Amino acid sequence: MPPVVVVRDLAKTYRVSERQEGLGATLRSIFDRTYRDVPAVAGISFEIEAGEVVGFLGPNGAGKTTTLKMLSGLLHPTAGAARVLGHVPWERAHAYLRLMTLLMGNRTQLVWDIPAADSLRVLQEIYRIDDVTYRRVLSDLVELLELGPLLHKPVRQLSLGERMKVEFAAGLIHSPAVAFLDEPTIGLDVTMQVRIRQFIREHNRRSGATILLTSHYMDDIVALCKRVLVIHHGRLLYDGGLADLAERMAPHKLIAATLHDSAAGTDLSRYGTIVGNEAGRVTLRVSRAEAPEVTARLVHDLGEGLADLSLQDPPIEEVIDRVFSGEALPT
Amino acid sequence: MIRAYRALFVAGIQQAAQYRIQYTLYVLFSVIRPIIFLAAWAAVATGQGGRVGDFTAEDFAGYYIALTIVIHLTTAWNSLEFELEVRQGRLSPKLLRPLHPLHYSVVENIIWKVTTLPPLVAVLALIAWTFGARFATTPLHLVLFVPSIVLAAALRFLAGWCVASLAFWFTRIQTANTLFDRTAFIFAGSIAPISLLPPILQTAAYVMPFGYMLFVPAEILRGGVTASVALLLIGGQVLWLAATFALLRVVWRAGVRTYSSVGA
Repeated sequence: MPPVVVVRDLAKTYRVSERQEGLGATLRSIFDRTYRDVPAVAGISFEIEAGEVVGFLGPNGAGKTTTLKMLSGLLHPTAGAARVLGHVPWERAHAYLRLMTLLMGNRTQLVWDIPAADSLRVLQEIYRIDDVTYRRVLSDLVELLELGPLLHKPVRQLSLGERMKVEFAAGLIHSPAVAFLDEPTIGLDVTMQVRIRQFIREHNRRSGATILLTSHYMDDIVALCKRVLVIHHGRLLYDGGLADLAERMAPHKLIAATLHDSAAGTDLSRYGTIVGNEAGRVTLRVSRAEAPEVTARLVHDLGEGLADLSLQDPPIEEVIDRVFSGEALPT
Repeated sequence: MIRAYRALFVAGIQQAAQYRIQYTLYVLFSVIRPIIFLAAWAAVATGQGGRVGDFTAEDFAGYYIALTIVIHLTTAWNSLEFELEVRQGRLSPKLLRPLHPLHYSVVENIIWKVTTLPPLVAVLALIAWTFGARFATTPLHLVLFVPSIVLAAALRFLAGWCVASLAFWFTRIQTANTLFDRTAFIFAGSIAPISLLPPILQTAAYVMPFGYMLFVPAEILRGGVTASVALLLIGGQVLWLAATFALLRVVWRAGVRTYSSVGA
């Protein structure tokens, strides 16, 4: 089966007008506008296979949303090419629109004044879903999202979390083969984030839909995505397994050594940088290359004094944070 | 498509039902402007010995009542909302559904007209009785009124969307909208029946599209023109509708392209 999403050198540059502050500059700008080109996406390429759940990581302004908008068909790219399910997204062919969805956590597509059930009926007709399919998909969504009591209240009376669940139902009622989710858990409390995550995972398992999602919450990505795309300043820094990300991006590892009372107080700073020390458990940061050797030396030197030893990758949040702050670069 | 329309109607009527008092008040206020002109022209006619051109005070009453109905049935307010839709990005989800965004506003538009027609007719009946309105309407006029009002509504709707589409390029389009409304006010027959305008303005009015939006169906409803003139005027409506439709297609396509290049 060919990849569902194929992106080649996709780029988008926005043209923004700019002026200095102050009255003089304001008056001048009326007659002589200056523009600046802002590259939001600077030529990225990747492919996504059917049924994959891929996480799109990057700080604000990295180009994530712009990419999702191009792939869903809202934005014309400045350069490059993309095909989703064989369609050029920005041609917005109805045949394509029926197969995909774009859900944005901070935007609503429901009518505020009427219950969601009625909005869903409208969508049923717009997407020409037959009654049997509609009832089956809706009952699945009602079950997975626990929508029962929410469907018959006017949307404006729903809480943020409840509304997001209903938005999901509206976005998925036509069983799209591809779903672009932009910050689907933004602003939700922890419990609701967990619920939405469970839903996305279960929906992917049941429907086999291909999902590309962005999130600021690493927990979303860790829970859902085996593969991540890391984008920064519009460029793709990493494309691969989440597990390998730390290996590629973090130049160091963490060694956690738990000491018996006999060895308590031993100075371990000669083995590496101490980043944690509590209740007999010392955490050392060592360079990735030296990690095996340092581990062996610790075992040798401390001998019986060592109660436990583990070698870990740094937390994924920390890795990402270092990448985005420019401290770590892909190797 | 028909099923989508039906579903949109059901949802739209529910939505409208929540604002019924606001809607009714709005309709009642919309009667004020034509009635002021009616009162003024009736006073002028009475002062000039009973007539202005071919119009007696009772003819003016008939004309302005027909005109108010026509204004109501052809109302299009898209540009007001569309500007916000573009600016706030609410257009985006609509663009990503397999239904042209214009259809939503067609339905909204029809619902508004249907739900607010009863209070309007009640108020107009009262005014007709007060002013002793005279109609020369024959059954043939009523038959011709049907295509004429449909064409006028479609024309005003699509022309309104042409103006609204400017929102793709400009953040604020109220100036363009006001310009359109003011020009329509003069040339569509609101300030006076077109047949009473000075000859040069009359010619201009028959060449421009505005008269085909209001004056033509209003005169047919009042029975103010013969059947053959009515048919000629309906022909004019068809031409203007075709031209406006073609223009909107071009403008809309270019607009959506701009929208999706600057950051939808």
